[in-house]
Order: sequence, then C-alpha cells, then structure tokens
Amino acid sequence: MNKGVSGGGLGGGAGAVGGSAAGPTATAAAIAAQKQKTLLQRVDTDINNMVDNFNFLVDVARVSDQPFRNSQEAFQMEIRAARVVQAADSLLKLVSELKQTAVFSDLGSLNQNVEQRISKLDNLSEETNTLVMRVGEEAAASLRELESHYYSSLHRTGDSLE
Amino acid sequence: MDGGNIKLSLDKLPIRRVDAVDENGTEHFPPSDVNQDEKYLSLLRRIDFTPVVEKDAKKQKVSRENQASQQWPWQSLVENLRQAHHELSVIIDLVHNVEANDAVAVAGMTRPKPLPNEVLSDLAISTSTKLQCFQHVGKYLKQSAKALEHQVAREARFYGSLIRLQQNWKVKRQRALAAPSGSEGFTFDLSDISLSDPLLFRTSSLSTVRIEHDSTGMLAVTLPPNSCHALFLGFRDGPSSTIPIQPAGSNIDSLREGFDCGAKKETATNEDVNECLKETHALLRSIHRAIFDEQVFDWVNREAFNGSPGVNVTGMRENFLQLSLNPEISVCLKLLASNKDDQSESQNGIHNEGSRVVSVDLSEGSGASDARLKNTQEKEQNWLPDALSCEIYLQQLLLENVFVRDREIRAPVKCGSNKVQGSMKPIGDGFGFLGHFCVSLSHRIFSHKVLVDLENLAARVPYVHLLSHPTWNSRISAWSLYMKVPQSIMHLGKTKPETFDLEKGIRSQFYTKVVVNDESICIEGEAAPSVVGLFRSDSVEVRSISGYHCGLEDLTPMLLQQVASQVVHWIHEEALIVGMKVTRDFLSLWFEVEQGDRLGLVARIDQDDPHCCIGWWLVLEDARMEGHPDLSNGGSSESKKFLGHLSLESLYAVLMDLVSLCSSSGTS
Repeated sequence: MNKGVSGGGLGGGAGAVGGSAAGPTATAAAIAAQKQKTLLQRVDTDINNMVDNFNFLVDVARVSDQPFRNSQEAFQMEIRAARVVQAADSLLKLVSELKQTAVFSDLGSLNQNVEQRISKLDNLSEETNTLVMRVGEEAAASLRELESHYYSSLHRTGDSLE
Repeated sequence: MDGGNIKLSLDKLPIRRVDAVDENGTEHFPPSDVNQDEKYLSLLRRIDFTPVVEKDAKKQKVSRENQASQQWPWQSLVENLRQAHHELSVIIDLVHNVEANDAVAVAGMTRPKPLPNEVLSDLAISTSTKLQCFQHVGKYLKQSAKALEHQVAREARFYGSLIRLQQNWKVKRQRALAAPSGSEGFTFDLSDISLSDPLLFRTSSLSTVRIEHDSTGMLAVTLPPNSCHALFLGFRDGPSSTIPIQPAGSNIDSLREGFDCGAKKETATNEDVNECLKETHALLRSIHRAIFDEQVFDWVNREAFNGSPGVNVTGMRENFLQLSLNPEISVCLKLLASNKDDQSESQNGIHNEGSRVVSVDLSEGSGASDARLKNTQEKEQNWLPDALSCEIYLQQLLLENVFVRDREIRAPVKCGSNKVQGSMKPIGDGFGFLGHFCVSLSHRIFSHKVLVDLENLAARVPYVHLLSHPTWNSRISAWSLYMKVPQSIMHLGKTKPETFDLEKGIRSQFYTKVVVNDESICIEGEAAPSVVGLFRSDSVEVRSISGYHCGLEDLTPMLLQQVASQVVHWIHEEALIVGMKVTRDFLSLWFEVEQGDRLGLVARIDQDDPHCCIGWWLVLEDARMEGHPDLSNGGSSESKKFLGHLSLESLYAVLMDLVSLCSSSGTS
C-alpha cells in the first residue's frame, strides 16, 4: 500500500534508454542504473499494489453473518478498487514517462535524424539549383529556337517580301 | 408473581406475517392454521387493546365504507403498518419505564428464535448487498479500465504523432509550462539557431508553438489569431498610389490560426491521425514561412535604416516600407496578417500581376471608359516586373547572403563545395544587398523599356532579327540585332556561307550587340558609324567592332543608323567585288557614272515611319552642283528618286542594275 514511490521524474534518463550511447562516464552510468532501479521499483510497487488489492477484493467475497461487517467490507471494497485503479494509472504514467524519455533523450537517433534531414535538404537544394539552371538553359535554348523559327517563318519572310 | 418477582412474558406475539404484497397493494398472508380461540387469546394478550378495539370498530366501519366505495387498495397495508408502529411504541415505552425504574430489573429475556425463512431472507439480503457491492466495484473497474484504455490509445496517438513530427521539427519540453496548464508543456521550437549572431534577427513571438492534445489524443497546435504575417510586395506609381499593393499569393494559402483535428470525433482512426499530422506539418511550415517573412522584412528595414547606397527610402511605418526606384516608381513592402479576411479584402479590386489580368470592380459597370482605363493600366503595368518573382528574389538574397554565408563561416569545411561558394557572389559596386535589389528592379524596368524599343525596331525593319542573350545576371541584359545579307552572286556555288570570309573580305551576317548594364545602354557593333570610319575608306577599320553608350531616347535612331550603315557597308563590299568605282560615305554610296557625275544610293532614316524606318533614295549628283541634294522635303525630282523601303534582295538587284548602268555608260 505504499504509494510514496514517485521516482522523481525521468529528466536525465538518457542512460536508462539511450544507455548504449558511446562512452558514458562512470557517474552517468551510475545515475542511469539508479534511474533504472527506481523505475523497476515503481513498477514492482504498482504491480504488488494491484495484486494485493485484488486479492483483498476476492477475499471479502465471503458473506459475513454480521450485517455491520458487510457494510464495512463494502466500503473497503470501494477503497481497494480505487487503489487498483490508482496503481494502474501510476503504471500508465510511468509508461508515458518512458515514452517521453524515448522522445527527448534518445539523442543518438535524434542527431542521426537531423543529419539525415540536413543531407536530404542539401541534396534537394542542389537538385533544385541544378533544375533551375537546366530550366534556364532550356528556356534560353527554346527562346533561341523560337526566334530562329519566327524569323524564318512565312509570317516574317512574307512581311519582308511585301 | 413469584416471591416479589413479576414475570412478564411477551412471547408469542401476534406477528402479522405478510407473505407478499401485490403491485396494487393487496397483501397476501400465509395460510394460518390458527383457530378462532387462539385468535381471541392473542387478542387478549395484547397489552392494551382498547385502541385495537377502536381500530377494529373503525376498521369495520372503514371496511364497510371501502366495500361501498372501493377506495385505495394500499389502505389495509397502511393500517397494518400503523398498527405495528403503535404496538412497537407501546413496547418501547414499556422498556423505557423498566429502564428508568431502578427497582425493576430485567432478569432475563429470550429473543424469539427466527424462523428459518427469516434467516434465509437475512442471508439473501446480505448476499444481494454484497453482490451489489461487487457489481458496483466491477462497474467502477470496468469504467476505469475503459478510461485507461482510452488514455493508452490517446498517448499512443499523441506520442506517435510527436515522434513523427520530431523527425522534421524541434520539439522541446518545458517543465515550467506543464504545471499550470495541465498539458505536458511540449513546444515546437521554430527559431533558427543556426545563425552565429543571435542578435542578427529578433526572436519572433511565433517561434515557440505550444502543443496541446485534445480528448482523442490528437495533436493540437494553437496560435493567437492574426499572429502569422506574410510579406507582400507591390509597386507604386509615383507618390500617389495608383497601383495597389498586391499580395504575392503564395504565402496566404491555407494558413489558419490553429486547428483541432479530432475535436468533433469521439474516436480517431489512423487516417485521421495521418490527416492531422499533415495539417500540423502544413501549419508549422506556414509559421516557419511567416517567421522567415518577418526576418526578411526586419532585415530590409535595417538595411534601409542604415542607409546603404542605392536605397532611397520614401516611406516607413511599423509594417510598411516604401523604396523609390526612380522618380516614377516605388516598390512597397508590407507585412500583413495573412488570415482569410485579409485575403478576401486584398483580392477585391486588385490586379493579379502574375497572370497579367486586371480585375475590374464589377459594381462600377464595365463601360467603354472602364475598358479603356483597363487597357491603359495594363499597358502601364506591363513593364513592371512580376511582384512574386521580385519577392522570391529578395528572399533568396537574404537566404544566400545572410544564412548560407553565416553557416559557411561557421563550418567552412563542411560547406566547402565549389558550387555553393560559386552561388554566393559578393555584391560589388559598393551596394548593399538591398541596394543591389533596388538597382536590379530599376534595371528590370529599364531593360524592359529597351526591349520594347528593340522589338519595335525588329518589327519595322524586316531584315533585322532580334536575338536574346540571357546573361544570368540580375543587373545586365543583352540582346543582339542580327542581319543576314543575301549571298553574293560571286559565291553562289558555296553551299555553306561563313560569317566572315577572311580571304575574300565578304560578310554574310552582321551583328549589333545591345548590352544594358544597370541603366546604361552600350551598343557594340560591326561597321559602326564611328567618326574614324567616316573619313577613312579602310574597310578593316570600318569592320572593327566599336562600342558606344547612348540613352534610351537615342537608342532607336542610333540602332537604325547602325543597321543602315551595315547595309551600306555590305553594298559597298559587294560593289567592290564586282569592280565598281564606289566611295562610301556615312549612310550613302557614290558610284562614278561619267565625267565626274556621281550616282548616290542614300539611306534615309525615319524612326516615325510605321512601316519601315530605313528608306532608300537614288540621287544623281551633278559635278556642277555642290553638296548633296536635300532629301528632307520627301518629294521626287529629276535629280533624286525615292526607291522605297527596299529589302536587301531588292537593294542587291538595284546594285546589279547600277553595275550594268555604269558599265554601259563607261563603254559608251
């Protein structure tokens, strides 16, 4: 029933998820291990909470002779059910913290992504430059061709004949 | 009474056991095997049965009435309950009396043994209560599970979208923002940190975009209204604005102030997520572009404020800048909110320069005067450069000269390719980037006027061809006027005439190059009517290419003279080939006919002639007369004859006629 394990967030959880990054120092590794331990502890606590509370719920299924005991148990059941849900919610929060860590602390893949993006955009820019230059050259060639066609056309030569 | 003790027995109470109560209130009693004596005995055992007797009497009365009127069916149940209540109150009263009286002590009391069905019913009640509790808990757990499932799906959707967006955008997490708003405090950071000098551009308020997620877990990006601005470029005709500022068009498409993808839907499918991502991408791109537009405007303002050469600021407001290109034309830059209202407003009565269509306000009618006005406007605006391409050029200037240069300075090894360096030409002439932009615009306007003149000339002189030469420089334009002369009869056998046959000294083509550099026109051409060429008959000297500058108003006559001079030069060469005695003047050729008489073929230039600007006269110069006859009066006389606007072939035929004339006169 101890819900006091908060874990203190996963702000520096780079080591926990991205622990495979090249050359973490000993301190960083220790911090990462500590974080990992905290996380595992939280998971254990939450799951134990759920199991214990569920066990209690099953236990109180027996109908007692005393009517006051029954109403007491009814109240307790509500509490236990709420605790089960709370533990599940806590687990969910932990999952979303892990997701956030994956999103923000996976610096290796982030950097890789940025590099890929930069090279892709560079290629695109180069391609666009080439394309623009080619379009310009083609336009110039077409213009030249059109001009020669125009000046050799019947319209033009007809004018000159007149 | 037994030795001072009073024994009070209350057992065997006349309990009314109700077996069932119908919906309409009729009570069913269990079948009783109590005989009439026991009933009486039970009545006697009542502690105080006077009210019962009264009640019974009343009841009889009431029952009689009931029978008579068939009243409320629940009445008997109510009566029984009231009776039980009364009995219970008497017992409670008795118990209180016993408790209050110290002298009286309860020696023993036995609880009536419940009947088995009573025990079972108690058990049933307990069990059903427990079942209800379990059902309640089950329901609660099911609801919670559903909510958690929903939350898992939401988070999967949200983080999935976030990871996909992170591949293209910088996502930041700010813990300070998370607490008050309830969201996780994620933001998109759109500011450009690639600049080494962060003070070069002020940080836009748009650079941090908050990410929210809605009830279905969709990403939602919210922006304050009217926060996105777009740069609009337009031209003004003089101090009074006759040409309205027009939007450049590309920046205002589908820009919205935030959206909520799945707000109306309870559940979101993968397609919805993809659609939402696309819209977020589009919105972020629009914001990015708006930031870049702000930077461009900021940079232009700074350059204008610093007063770089070539820039003439004539108006400056918070979101408006007017630069004078020349006394007639100004270019305006505006930073406007790019929402849909503005779009509709700006489209009202604004001409779209890109497609060269002037939209006329239909409410004012479309009479002949309007159409004329429209035509004149169109003509006036035709020589203006396209606003959209100007805007793109301005953005390109900033991008190449500020961003790319800054990046290369910081990382010279990475960006060391020749291509990129080649594209970054430093802007010389002491102009800043904005000065360069203004001069480029002026050049575009000026060169368009030159082109119109050249086109007119090429249209009116049939043997002159206008060729364009793209220079790939925004401040230099070049064209050439090309003239192909007919093949000489001496070289008819040649299949492929060359441009210049050095051995024979014969040309087949003449070129005149017109280069416009900023706003100065330079004409380079062969056989130019240079002063040296006028006094010397040396063909090599005349053939040399010479260049000279001229203004726009002199361009057409100068070029016409140039062309006429080239034609004269060509005929002179041909005449020399056939062995004629010929002398060449500025725009005329003089053939020796006999005894000092000379026959002249004179070109006359009239730039106002709508058909052909170069006319030819045949002039007989008597040896006794001094000077050339006057051609200005236009009429023919004995000594001069107007041949008309001859083509080159006709001129050649005239030359051949002159050859035969000269040879016949020589023999006679």
